[in-house]
Amino acid sequence: MREMISRAGALAAMLVLAFAAAVSAGDDPQVLLSVRMDGQSDYAAQYTIEDLRELEPVTFETETIWTTGPQQFTGVPLAVLMERMGVSGGQMVAHAVNDYSVEIPVSDAVEGGPIVAFERNGAEMSLRSKGPLWVVYPYDSNPDYRTEEVYSRSIWQLDRIVIRQ
Amino acid sequence: MLHGFPSVPRWVLALVLAIAAALAAQSVRLGHQVLQELDGLSTAATDNMQWNLSQAEVEHLKLQTAVLTASAPEDLPRLRRQFDIYYSRISTFRESPLFEDLRRSPAGTGLLQQMQDRLDRMASVVDSGDQALLRGLPDLAEELEDNSANVRELALFGVVLQVDDSKDKRLKLFTILSRLGWVVLALVLALALAALLLGRLYRKGRQMAIERSRAAARMEAMIASSLDAILVVGADGRIQAFNGAAESVFGYSGEEAVGQPMVNLIVPDHLQEAHEAGMKRFLQTGKTQVVGKGRLQLEARRKSGELFPVELSVSVSQSGTDMVFVSFLRDISERIAVEEELRRARDDALAGERAKHNLLTVMSHEMRTPLTGVLGALDLIEGTGPTQEQRRYLQAMRVSGELLLHHVNDVLELSRLESGADSEKLQIFDLEELAGGLVESQQASAKGRGIDLSLHCSLGGKPVVAGRPRAVQQVLLNLIGNALKFTSEGAVSVDVMRLPDGETVELSVADTGQGIAAEDLDRIFEDFITLDASYGRGSEGTGLGLSITKRLVEAMGGTVTCESEPGEGSLFTISLALPAAKALPRQTDQDKPQHKGGRRLLVAEDNDINRELLAIMLGQEGHQVTAVPGGAEAVQAASEGRFDLVLMDISMPEVDGIEALRRIRAGQLAEGTDIVALTAHAAAEDHTRILEAGFAEVLTKPVNKAELAGVIARRAGGGVKALPRTESDIHQFFEALGQDRARSFLVSFCEEVNQFQDMLQGSAELEDLQRKEAHRLAGSAAVLGLSDLRSAMLAIEKTELGENLPLAPFQQAWASAAMILVPHLHS
Repeated sequence: MREMISRAGALAAMLVLAFAAAVSAGDDPQVLLSVRMDGQSDYAAQYTIEDLRELEPVTFETETIWTTGPQQFTGVPLAVLMERMGVSGGQMVAHAVNDYSVEIPVSDAVEGGPIVAFERNGAEMSLRSKGPLWVVYPYDSNPDYRTEEVYSRSIWQLDRIVIRQ
Repeated sequence: MLHGFPSVPRWVLALVLAIAAALAAQSVRLGHQVLQELDGLSTAATDNMQWNLSQAEVEHLKLQTAVLTASAPEDLPRLRRQFDIYYSRISTFRESPLFEDLRRSPAGTGLLQQMQDRLDRMASVVDSGDQALLRGLPDLAEELEDNSANVRELALFGVVLQVDDSKDKRLKLFTILSRLGWVVLALVLALALAALLLGRLYRKGRQMAIERSRAAARMEAMIASSLDAILVVGADGRIQAFNGAAESVFGYSGEEAVGQPMVNLIVPDHLQEAHEAGMKRFLQTGKTQVVGKGRLQLEARRKSGELFPVELSVSVSQSGTDMVFVSFLRDISERIAVEEELRRARDDALAGERAKHNLLTVMSHEMRTPLTGVLGALDLIEGTGPTQEQRRYLQAMRVSGELLLHHVNDVLELSRLESGADSEKLQIFDLEELAGGLVESQQASAKGRGIDLSLHCSLGGKPVVAGRPRAVQQVLLNLIGNALKFTSEGAVSVDVMRLPDGETVELSVADTGQGIAAEDLDRIFEDFITLDASYGRGSEGTGLGLSITKRLVEAMGGTVTCESEPGEGSLFTISLALPAAKALPRQTDQDKPQHKGGRRLLVAEDNDINRELLAIMLGQEGHQVTAVPGGAEAVQAASEGRFDLVLMDISMPEVDGIEALRRIRAGQLAEGTDIVALTAHAAAEDHTRILEAGFAEVLTKPVNKAELAGVIARRAGGGVKALPRTESDIHQFFEALGQDRARSFLVSFCEEVNQFQDMLQGSAELEDLQRKEAHRLAGSAAVLGLSDLRSAMLAIEKTELGENLPLAPFQQAWASAAMILVPHLHS
């Protein structure tokens, strides 16, 4: 499939790649997010895009400081993930594909709070467009989320979470 | 009131506070801006720009490494992923608002475009198949080599942008902060000013509070120490304050009274309705009969139920809608009692005064009746040719008798003046003639004492004046009489002079007598004053002459003064308003009915002796007398005959004088004929009553010949014979009746009295018949000059039923009267 797209020429790479990723996910269910507890070597949970879609995803619209204009994000609330992990306190250490990492307090994971977005404006996100997973806070709905700290926690190209209790 | 609380600081304070409020609002706004700015600094609008820019370089280097180290197809996924990461970095620069400044600068735009173009070229290689990618690796390396300079440039660009941006923000923040500083400074100043003003207000308020509490304390003390009960009552009628005096007056304690309706507490039952109606009316209409009407006298009730008089004053104090009545009440029961006592004392005193007056009048009258009898009898004796010796005794008797009569008349005159009945009408008369006649009448007396009595008139040729001739005559006579009395030898000079004002006439009497000491000058016009030490031996008198003079003069609106030098003489001066008047045409003899000789006279008198005496005296003067014993007979006589004058006794049994006159006038029995009253009553009110009944004038009994002649001359036009003053007594009685008749009358009188005496001794109680007999005998006794007997008879007549008869005085009087009468019973 990828070859087919590349043959399509220099179109908007982002869309093309997103499409390609979606199609390839359909062929080969690829793990997008791995969660483990700190100190354990095994992952406690691993999620493909399909798994995430089944976890009661939510959608909201907000502006961000990294994008132009209002953006619609769909994703699984961190609160849901933490609940599934049975975690109610401590820190999540979120890692990105490029080994960037940031600490997010578990207390941030509340209803109406941050989500692990897998769709932006109705489409899955490619690596080139900060995908496939991006921790997004509803910045517009709560001024408390428009702080440097929260912005630093908004990690994109997320691929794993380590929970420290 | 407290002195001027200035109104200026109030609005100044309001203004300052308003300004402070505005400044506070402004500072809040600016503070909010500062917060926003600081928030802006704290928000990561710019935070990770540096990070992003440097990360772009990092990812670029990682990609370069991946490209340089890739040699086999298995290296390619890592390369591709690294490319995607780098790609996402660059796309952030194109999309994020953080890099808008970068995008806006032409250099930045160009740079980004260049990098994007390169990225697109590399993407076409990376997105191609593995083999193609492997083949294109050198191209990629080359592109990346070129790109590294661009990435560095981009990072540096970021630094410049960052510096500019933070400089703007600093400046902006500085501006806001300095503005805020000014606003806060102004706010502080305004607050300081407000604090100052508030402090001043506070001080003033405290001062006012102190003064108010002082005033309240003063008021409290005033109310508490008031001797009057003070009640403060609300519009609802309930007592709000009740002071100490109120407690002692009403008997309620303050706790008992406060809060209670006043009407239940202190208003007597019979006043409650009126009180409530009045209160209601006041609240509805504001009209009142009590409030603000000064002192009122009402009744109030004590706790004990006792009613007592109070003096009440109510005022209303209104502040806003709050209205209270302040009532001051004073217990005046003591005052009322004292007033009552005073009134009683005054009434008693007045009654005493009246009694004295009555006593004087009655006594004088009672004295005058027998006295005139005595004098009349003297007149008669003189006509019987007495011996020389007898004549001397008679003269002595006459002098004493006349002096006594004069005293009695003085007292009567005073009593008459006292009662204010002397209202002689203004008349036109000839003053010079009056004075001349008067002086002439006194010449004999003056000569007898070796005194030169002279008269000087200077009335400017207008001797006729308007005034009260009888009063003038009397005062002049009093003064002349006094002057003669107190001058043993020398001169008495009478001056009548009109003063230049044309109205006032001065009558002065100067003598060369013994004079009056200066300290006595003030007293001589008082009642009953005789200057005993100097006058007592030389003269007699009641001491009423000058006081009568003074009263008469003052009644005429004049003044009387006295100057005197002891040893040199005295000068009495009377000033009277006697304006000159036009002389009336003189009455001529033709104006009067012409009856030469006697007049036809009707005399009605119930007392036998008096009637007889009058008839004889008038008959001797040549008049034709018809004497009747009662009113009914007088009416009868008047209807039968024609009379020139009727003399009518007032107090007669059955038909009295007044009734008789009424019948005569009603029957037109004596048209054109005057009816003159004879009365024993000298009191002025009786005279008034009699004159009102229609009598022409009043003669007070006893009347002498001169008076009879005068009244006949006045009323019946009879010629007046110059008559010596004659009086009557037993001798006159004998002369009038003739020896035989008189003697038989005396005999029967003695028998009647003896019979009466026996009758009284035989009966325990007085019968009506006896009473009448006593009255009749009293009249006879009076004519005979037996005054003691007369008084005794009158006392018997007036004895009430059940009282003991005053027999002792009667017997005594009768015994002494018999001594007088016995010599006359036998010729």
